[in-house]
Amino acid sequence: MLQLLVDGLVVGSTVALGAIGLTLTYSLLRFANFGHGELLTIGAYAALAVVGALAGFAAPPIGPFSFGWPLLAALPVAAAATALVALAVDAALFARLRARGAAIVLIIASFGAALALRNLLLFSFGPLPEYYSREIQIAIALVPRSVLGGMRVTPDQAFVLGLALACMAALHLFLSRTVLGKAMRATAMNPDLARVAGIDTAAVIRATWILGATLASVAGVFAGLTGQVRTTLGFELLLPMFAAAILGGVGSVLGAAIGGLVVGLAESLLTPVLGAEYRAASAFLAIIAILLVRPQGLFGKAAR
Amino acid sequence: MSAALVVEDLVAGYEPGLPIVRGASLSVAAGEILAVLGPNGAGKSTLGKAVAGIVPVASGSVRLDGREIAGDPAHRMVRLGLGFVPQTENVFAELSVEDNLDLAAAVVGAPRAQRIAGIFELFPDLARQRRLDAGRLSGGQRQMLAVARALVASPRVLVLDEPSAGLSPKLAQHVFAKLAEIARDGVAIVLVEQNVRAALALAGRAVVLVEGRVRLEGEAAALAIDPRLRDAFLGRGEAA
Amino acid sequence: MSDLAGIASYAAFFLAFAGIFAVVVLGLNLQWGFTGLFNVGVAGFVAIGAYVSAILTTPDHPEQLGGFALPILAGWAGAAVAAGLAGLVVGVAALRLRHDYLAIATFGVAVAIQLVALNAQWIGGGPFGLHFIPKPFESTLGAGLPFNAAYLAQVVAIVALAYAALERLVRSPWGRVLRAIREDEAAAESLGKRVFAFRLQAFVLGSALMGLGGALYAHFVGYIAPEDFLPILTFQLWTMLVVGGAGNNRGAILGAVVVWGVWAMSGGALRAMMPADAQARGAALQVVLIGILLAAMLVLRPRGLLGEETAISRHAAAPAPADERRPG
Repeated sequence: MLQLLVDGLVVGSTVALGAIGLTLTYSLLRFANFGHGELLTIGAYAALAVVGALAGFAAPPIGPFSFGWPLLAALPVAAAATALVALAVDAALFARLRARGAAIVLIIASFGAALALRNLLLFSFGPLPEYYSREIQIAIALVPRSVLGGMRVTPDQAFVLGLALACMAALHLFLSRTVLGKAMRATAMNPDLARVAGIDTAAVIRATWILGATLASVAGVFAGLTGQVRTTLGFELLLPMFAAAILGGVGSVLGAAIGGLVVGLAESLLTPVLGAEYRAASAFLAIIAILLVRPQGLFGKAAR
Repeated sequence: MSAALVVEDLVAGYEPGLPIVRGASLSVAAGEILAVLGPNGAGKSTLGKAVAGIVPVASGSVRLDGREIAGDPAHRMVRLGLGFVPQTENVFAELSVEDNLDLAAAVVGAPRAQRIAGIFELFPDLARQRRLDAGRLSGGQRQMLAVARALVASPRVLVLDEPSAGLSPKLAQHVFAKLAEIARDGVAIVLVEQNVRAALALAGRAVVLVEGRVRLEGEAAALAIDPRLRDAFLGRGEAA
Repeated sequence: MSDLAGIASYAAFFLAFAGIFAVVVLGLNLQWGFTGLFNVGVAGFVAIGAYVSAILTTPDHPEQLGGFALPILAGWAGAAVAAGLAGLVVGVAALRLRHDYLAIATFGVAVAIQLVALNAQWIGGGPFGLHFIPKPFESTLGAGLPFNAAYLAQVVAIVALAYAALERLVRSPWGRVLRAIREDEAAAESLGKRVFAFRLQAFVLGSALMGLGGALYAHFVGYIAPEDFLPILTFQLWTMLVVGGAGNNRGAILGAVVVWGVWAMSGGALRAMMPADAQARGAALQVVLIGILLAAMLVLRPRGLLGEETAISRHAAAPAPADERRPG
């Protein structure tokens, strides 16, 4: 039972980072980006490509982790690559549709873009799942088996949890202390007022895409590290990320973070009840429950 | 004194084929307060927004210190010296008073701390509540913050959209007194207002818009007793 | 078998499929084009129709629901009813939500349905799906051209019936209210028309058509599996509607034919170009091409080939995003 907590938190961290990026772009661009999952997948594969290029699959692992320095070096590169893709798709597709005022059509366009991107990855990398390393991980027992089934954490999982926390802390500082962070929050609150206050909202939107893509790429690497790197990686996390963002209240970064952890835990704790095959359905159930009970989520504003 | 802001034959509206402002012209000099009046739907708010760059301009010219700015994006106008205070939702409610000002100061560049200090001197009440979330301010204080926010950028011209709306007469007077103070510092003020009497008491000159065009203009004191003023409002909106 | 017969058989096969898609797209058009409802879970409703019809008409199977062995027409009717019922449930739960939440909810519905189809062995035979779904007139016509042609005739008849019915519906008083709701919801509300009820009716009807399409597919191919109803199917159907023109029933049918044609041709071309071991990659490229087609359509000609000029902008009721309405 305790083990489910660890597993849930690890998955939850991945969902949380992805959901934060999703909620940021959602609140600024006012549309549900069904392509956000693919940003995670792109991040995971970009990191894979860099690790491969650095001949990193055979690199000696750092300490107890399964990966070596190539994966760490791959993180910023993957983030940059993912950000580039996000900006390109926005410029080519979303921005033009926004200019026409076709706000709802954006969802279908994002759905289509998601499929296209995913299949582009499939075309480039093939259908077989990949791994960042072949190292076997030894789990560390934090709590002995005699207590509620025990709790074991692998070093990789601890890395994921730690880095996720670090990212969230850094993000909080960024949004509350820096000019760009405040400008982002302001633009999300009231784009017209932001313009009138002198904020270049187009630049803020670009910055938001970059930030969201960066977080997504890190989340993608997490997912690839604790599982496999495969083309459906991000898509499978799409519903949980939406659930987390809606649970937390769209636009609330704290809400998305908490929402992500809750969704991860819920999925994990429901597994013995529903069966592992229906993991994804638990996110769907969560969404329906939230929308029926409190559509604005934990920290969102009541009906716009 | 040369004009700080000159608007000529401005045609503007939200939809391309449906202009609300249909050829309006006005000018304001530094340190002057120009009231823009008119009945509901006359287009005075839209005029203010078009000048500020948040409503599309179909034709006509807007010159700030001689430089053509019609159709420029709003955020660039701020840097050029034009400030705008919207009527509603004119502060960032979830940011603190200080952050509201900090943000406005940051986008126009250094010296940030000095600018903010200067604003707090002008608005001591706001200084006392600097850490409070803007959404928690009283109506009057919020309006002051909205004006302060626009002032942080040291504009040459300040356009306000019905700043007295929703305020008690006493609070409205408070805001207007502040505007007079600002004008004395040399800022040109365009005051779009529904409250005709208070606006004419404050302003030096005024224009009256009816159906998107300027129907009357002149010295404020003269207009206040001009019978054509009431006609322009079609018998309603008697000087409040 | 002469070449001509082979080509004719393929043509009939191709057109029958196009017709089956058309039925579904007509349903989607009713939901989106006429009512402005954003269903991103179309594949789920199609799946319901396919599985229900299969279960109702197949002979007994051990450890599995079924064995009713009802006539095929009963299967088709059951499929439409079941999908309509699903539409009712989903509609009641989700139609009052704002558009993007409705999209997410319907998407979740499709994912959930696909999961059930994949895992609930006793319902749908798990990943292997259901086989030996009876084909109409199978015993007399066998396979190939005669069967394909006969099925095509049946599908065409159904498409024609659906088209005629929908056209009448849209021009009827009921349809006029729907249009009024779409144009100005507040005004319609104030006139006493219960907006939600009308929307629900349109949604249910559209879902029923989707289910019927699913059933038609099941009985044409003879077997169905969960992987036939993946999100890619929803995407194909939406592309058909966007290309053909939302808000226009002829557009819906035309879109189905055109996009299916592009899909089939690109598939064929890619299969020919790709070496045998890279077929999966070729299929992936096919999706990319269709994705680009949809994106290009949305940007360059959002009303599609036959759609109304303002069908799309009219539904843009969501609040403006941060960089919209830049002047000049």
